[in-house]
Amino acid sequence: MKDKKYLCAMLCGVLLLMSFTLSPPRKIKVYLIGDSTMCLYPTKQFPINGWGMPFANYFDEGVTIDNRAKGGRSTRTFLAENRWQPIADSLNAGDYVLMQFGHNDEGPPPQYADRYTPVPDYKVNLIKFITETRAKNAIPILITPVSRRGFDKDGKAKETHIPYTKAVFEIGAEYKVPVIDLDKMSRDYYQQLGPDRSKLLFMELDSAEHPNYPLGRHDNTHFNEYGARKMAQIVLNDLKAQHIPLADHIVKGTNAPTVNPQAK
Amino acid sequence: MKYPFFKLKLSVFCLFAVLFMSFWIPPGHVTVYLAGDSTMSDKAVKAYPETGWGIPFHAFFDSTVTVKNIAKNGRSTKSFIAEGLWSSISDNLNAGDYVLIQFGHNDEVPTKATYTPEADYTANLVKFVTETRSKGAIPVLITPVARRKFDSEGKVQGTHNVYSALVRKVAAEQNVPLIDLDMEAQALIQKFGVDDSKMLFNYLAPGENPNYPDGKSDDTHFSELGARKVAEMVLADIKSMKLDLTNRIVISHFGIK
Repeated sequence: MKDKKYLCAMLCGVLLLMSFTLSPPRKIKVYLIGDSTMCLYPTKQFPINGWGMPFANYFDEGVTIDNRAKGGRSTRTFLAENRWQPIADSLNAGDYVLMQFGHNDEGPPPQYADRYTPVPDYKVNLIKFITETRAKNAIPILITPVSRRGFDKDGKAKETHIPYTKAVFEIGAEYKVPVIDLDKMSRDYYQQLGPDRSKLLFMELDSAEHPNYPLGRHDNTHFNEYGARKMAQIVLNDLKAQHIPLADHIVKGTNAPTVNPQAK
Repeated sequence: MKYPFFKLKLSVFCLFAVLFMSFWIPPGHVTVYLAGDSTMSDKAVKAYPETGWGIPFHAFFDSTVTVKNIAKNGRSTKSFIAEGLWSSISDNLNAGDYVLIQFGHNDEVPTKATYTPEADYTANLVKFVTETRSKGAIPVLITPVARRKFDSEGKVQGTHNVYSALVRKVAAEQNVPLIDLDMEAQALIQKFGVDDSKMLFNYLAPGENPNYPDGKSDDTHFSELGARKVAEMVLADIKSMKLDLTNRIVISHFGIK
């Protein structure tokens, strides 16, 4: 009888212990909030890609990427359409919110009055995202709006988001939030490629090239699959360079660099 | 019963109309099978951004088409058959389905286990064509897509000349639609030139991409850009050859008011 009690107590103890060890560590959720340069696209719109699409392919199993970016949205309309509150509600400690807005905030009225957000309001909205992220012990990351492709007559890549990028930096400094300067890094990359080759990153299609775009497309804002991946790489590498802990979950590939001997 | 003759004529007319329509209405669904090697295949996520041209090819068709990409890294006609990949296609073919066949990269290398001598390569292609047709399905032969290779003067060099010629010969003899992807991709690579053509292939600087920490210089496998450009060339040929599959290319009204 004494033995049985002892055994029972031991079993209970083991079960209790197991309840701790068996539950797998919770996955970190990374929310992407932003605009058309970041969002998901359906097949019927390919080859357009937001950079959030390839970005999701480079994390280990400890991370889930939830891309909530939406085409045409400014910070103001993202909030007005109740796209933020459900994210804020579901954030857990250790989650991330990567935010990249500006393309639509800066759209000048009257043409883009529906989305236009003046710089002071833009800042207020970013601060709201930051504050409410931190209230859940989650981690906000600011990203400056990725550059549009544009060159001046001397072949110099033009800066297209000046006041909004500046606002992101001001908030980053004031609230001590890491800033990924995608605006500058993307522009530097376009400069490196030059006016012609940089088109290969964007939705540049001849008519009849891709059935999804029967009239062709000449677009200096939206990326194709290739450009989106290049942008994702810039963000991934900057997460590493800034030693943001999320970077520990970026995959460590083992593919060899060897050249295929047959082509030589 | 005032016009019995007319009534009869009408019913006969209707019967013929229905019969006629049964030929003209495309059957509900076709499957397009892709049979080939790593230049065509789907990829594991850990190999990204290496891209087979079968991946972007999926996006070109409407909902009446299923593209099944059976192509697999490293396969020759010989190993594709030996591993049962070919029978997984031929056993499931229905009338009106398509089989796009592109091999050569792994057939033509004598040092590889997948090496397939010229006569066997020809025989295997003929087998694919014959067995596809026996099911009422449509074979399309494709020459092995070009690798990136230039001579010292910047002129692109063919690397599949012998095996591409064999594909052309089988296509001519068997009267099979031919897509000369070797020649067309060579033209594309030439147009891009020595430096820019690297953008079509899986070229990565060290530290650029997490899957390739030491970088990659690959003159055989495509980037997303190269894979799509190649897929677009295949599609253009499907159109110019007026294959029935053309009627199932997705019709988009994007940008059309």
